[in-house]
Amino acid sequence: MLLARRNLFRDRTRFLLTVAGVAVSIGLILLLAGYRSGVYRQASAYLDNTPGEVVVAERGIRDFLGTSSALPAGAEEAVRQTPGVERVIPVISQFVIFERHGRKDGFFLVGYDPARGGGPWKLAAGREPAADHELVIDRTAADQHGIAIGDAISVLDRTMTVVGLSDDTTFWAGSIAFARISTLESLLRAPGLRSFLLVTPAAGVTPMALRDRLAHPATEVLLKSEVVANDRKLLARVYDAPIGLMVAIAFLVGVLVVGLVIYTATIERRREYGAIKAIGARNRALYRVVTIQAFIAAAIGAIAGVGLAYGGGAAMMAWRPQFRVDIEPAAIGVVLAASLLMALVAALIPARLVAHLEPAEVFRG
Amino acid sequence: MTAFTLDVRGVTKRFGDGAAGVEAVRGVSLAVEPGEIVLIMGPSGSGKTTLLSMMGALLRPTTGSIHLDGIEISALSESRLPEIRLRRFGFIFQDFNLLSALTVLENVAIVAELGGVGRRPARAKATALLSDLGLGERLDFLPEKLSGGEKQRVATARALVNDPTLILADEPTANLDSKIGHEIMNLLRRIAKDQGRSVVIVSHDQRIRDVADRVLWLADGRFTDVDAMATDPVCRMSVERDRAVRTERDGETFYFCSRGCREEFLGRLVPSTG
Amino acid sequence: MSATLLLARRNLGRNRVRLLASVGGVALALTLTLALDAIYAGVANQLTTYIDRAGADVWVSQAGVRNLHMVASWLPGSVTDAVRAVPGVAGVTPILYSTDTIAARDERAVAYVIGLPADAAIGGPWSVVKGADRVGRGEIIIDRGFARRAGVSIGDSVIVLGAEARIVGLSDGTASLLNSVAFVSFDDFRAMRGGAPVVSYVLVKVAPGASPEAVAAAIERQVPSVTAQSKTDFSAQERRLVMDMSADVISIMNVIGFVVGLAVVAITVYVATLARRREYGVLKALGARNSALYRVVLGQAVLSVALGFVVALAFTGLLVLVLPLAGVGLELSISAASLAKVGLFALVIAGLAAILPVRQVSSLDPAVVFRRGVAI
Ligand SMILES: Nc1ncnc2c1ncn2[C@@H]1O[C@H](COP(=O)(O)OP(=O)(O)O)[C@@H](O)[C@H]1O
Ligand SMILES: [Mg+2]
Repeated sequence: MLLARRNLFRDRTRFLLTVAGVAVSIGLILLLAGYRSGVYRQASAYLDNTPGEVVVAERGIRDFLGTSSALPAGAEEAVRQTPGVERVIPVISQFVIFERHGRKDGFFLVGYDPARGGGPWKLAAGREPAADHELVIDRTAADQHGIAIGDAISVLDRTMTVVGLSDDTTFWAGSIAFARISTLESLLRAPGLRSFLLVTPAAGVTPMALRDRLAHPATEVLLKSEVVANDRKLLARVYDAPIGLMVAIAFLVGVLVVGLVIYTATIERRREYGAIKAIGARNRALYRVVTIQAFIAAAIGAIAGVGLAYGGGAAMMAWRPQFRVDIEPAAIGVVLAASLLMALVAALIPARLVAHLEPAEVFRG
Repeated sequence: MTAFTLDVRGVTKRFGDGAAGVEAVRGVSLAVEPGEIVLIMGPSGSGKTTLLSMMGALLRPTTGSIHLDGIEISALSESRLPEIRLRRFGFIFQDFNLLSALTVLENVAIVAELGGVGRRPARAKATALLSDLGLGERLDFLPEKLSGGEKQRVATARALVNDPTLILADEPTANLDSKIGHEIMNLLRRIAKDQGRSVVIVSHDQRIRDVADRVLWLADGRFTDVDAMATDPVCRMSVERDRAVRTERDGETFYFCSRGCREEFLGRLVPSTG
Repeated sequence: MSATLLLARRNLGRNRVRLLASVGGVALALTLTLALDAIYAGVANQLTTYIDRAGADVWVSQAGVRNLHMVASWLPGSVTDAVRAVPGVAGVTPILYSTDTIAARDERAVAYVIGLPADAAIGGPWSVVKGADRVGRGEIIIDRGFARRAGVSIGDSVIVLGAEARIVGLSDGTASLLNSVAFVSFDDFRAMRGGAPVVSYVLVKVAPGASPEAVAAAIERQVPSVTAQSKTDFSAQERRLVMDMSADVISIMNVIGFVVGLAVVAITVYVATLARRREYGVLKALGARNSALYRVVLGQAVLSVALGFVVALAFTGLLVLVLPLAGVGLELSISAASLAKVGLFALVIAGLAAILPVRQVSSLDPAVVFRRGVAI
């Protein structure tokens, strides 16, 4: 529609403003969605990168992150003896609060046996812990706290030396750190303690079959994917409400901006719209003019918004590398659809004005 | 220097350059005495509004000078102009140009306040002026609720509130019916005479000629001798004799703005042929 | 009120749609920031409930452990006697502690599980609404909210620490957004941990007249490898945990709230200026200086932001009142610091929003007043 396009493009500043409004809104929605999937991906980083298809935990515990699991004595031996088990990685995990420069930070401390696996999957520098007072920490966390390899840090009542820095171990509430399993046993004053067993089935045994075979009333046996899903549910409890709220606000803002600008543009040209009506145009034709304006603005704004989201995500990750923004192609599709919806809702704002416009408007002074 | 309120000397206004340029006003001179009412008439596009804008310090002349009360306003820096506009000019527009969000009283009082008058005295003065103009019952109305004549009276009160020496009016009656238009013109005349303010009115409305002390004709950006002008007997527009469509009738020459008016004129004279 | 402010107010007030949009937008954005702060402050309050209500004056933990939430603290059992011997200590209660999942029927929830000695003087539930306030072997006291959600009551069993325990009491005020508190027998807990002679925290009651801070210092001096903190210090540390760990998330949300608020106000103020361009031209022709017109624009921005701020405050205040009634275990708390921060946000937003139309106003040609028609 020529009229719609002309009305929209005639005032460049206003047009840019509309596009900017939609772009901010769409960019924000995408960024938030990307942040959410980033949080989820980070949450499963340890399990994703550690071998094993089946997880054995304390009875009643079905997640990896939320609680301190303690397996009954002898559980590891029993699992290892089970036919169809190829490999067992025992780990102790404990959330530890680490304080430096007066700021508290969370460490998800994983105790593992270097001979059996379960340690850092991507060492950026240094080596794995070879003695009980040695520790590998996340590189981003180290950068933020000004810690280098060779530095001593205190963990509970121990002084430990950082011997390695790992990558891909930043985490929503801190980061993952690695020590030997014996370190954790003595740190927690629990010789023989095991939190989880990560079990790999032998060739020809499906994880499902292995899970059923390992089932035991004193423990919880789950597929790794189930544990990951439970961890996500845990996060969702904390994250989904605020993120959902913000997505809604961002959407409303987009509607508001597009609607308002087109509304004002319509007011300013009410005389012209009145003239079109006087010539005999139906309300439908005028709705079409405002709706098309809204669509053009929303479409261009949405494209700019996708760019903004990628830029904003990159900026956020540069500022705080522990935040991960994963913008998924599927989310882009949803958001583009949202922008079209935005345009439709926004067009309703000036629609009433158009409908109530009197053709006689033209003759008024 | 002079006893003139306004002294316009050899003013020219050119819009744009080169071939595409338009000379809207060409070498116009005019002096207005205190208390004098000058009516500038001319066809549409003759440069009336451009000239008025320059007299009101809203537009700078390309050449020439304009003095107001002895001050060369055409040479003042932009930062000094608001003060001049505020205190020495009162504007009245064809479209009234009231502030739509403010009430009648506020529309007038705000201009006084901008002129540095306190809130209370500004309101008091605005109330007095508006009552004087017969709007005492309308003080708290929004402009959209007023008739055209009422709006123009509010605009007149607004133009007067800072005691200007010169009132400039652009087609003040164009949006009013003729009775109301006449009322407004008489009002302006009363103000000019009672308070000794000069008034310059720009219009192509023939009906307000009698209010003016002096009528000037602007055509193509130049003042033209009144004698060179004639009135279209059909539409009552002023037209230049030299350029107009004409017809002779009973030894008298009639001048028309267009062929259409002449046809109508001629047609009228033919007795209806039933 | 000055003339410019009056015009600003009127310009705002006469256009309902625009007023609603700008005030609503600002209110949304500021609510986002205010409510988020209030949520975290509320969570911090909730998190310290056990510390505040357990009845201890001083908390003794494994050296370097200054918190409770989700952490581990394991001390040799002998520490209890060592602490008891410190002058100024009137009584000691050792507890075992772990963050665990309790499961009943299909309901599962994170809980602080406290292992409570049979003769515990302090550290137990402070408000039992049904059943016993002491736990023996194989028994548990749980939060009544969890019991209701799971549909269990006294006599039913739950899974805790990898074993089953029978509910003997239901307590109140022991649930937060993140977790509830459950009490089991000290001996059961220790058995689950392989029977090692350890304790998690030693809860200390100080002698009448003794200062908890002084006693804590004396304990740290006399007992090796422990951290001792007064209840007040411990509670403050726990609050800081929430604030420090959520600081980055809060910053991001604050930035987003700020951008959204700024965008809305800037656009509405700009559009409002655009719509009244002709009237600003009239004012200019009548002799108003650019500065006076800026004041009108700024006045509109400040007014809409101020209104938005009030609405946001009222709305958040309403949430503070209503949420506890909704029973979601979430409580909000508005702090003076957060109010000041959001107020500052609002001011900056208003200031920045008024910048955009400046060029609009200053480049306005007063001669527009003579031009007819609406489209300028
Ligand atoms: N800002 C401008 N830019 C270019 N041309 C202008 C401008 N203002 C007026 N003109 C031209 O100057 C001439 C006189 O216009 P104007 O003063 O408005 O006449 P009037 O008021 O007598 O109808 C017209 O040809 C008009 O097109
Ligand atoms: Mg004109």
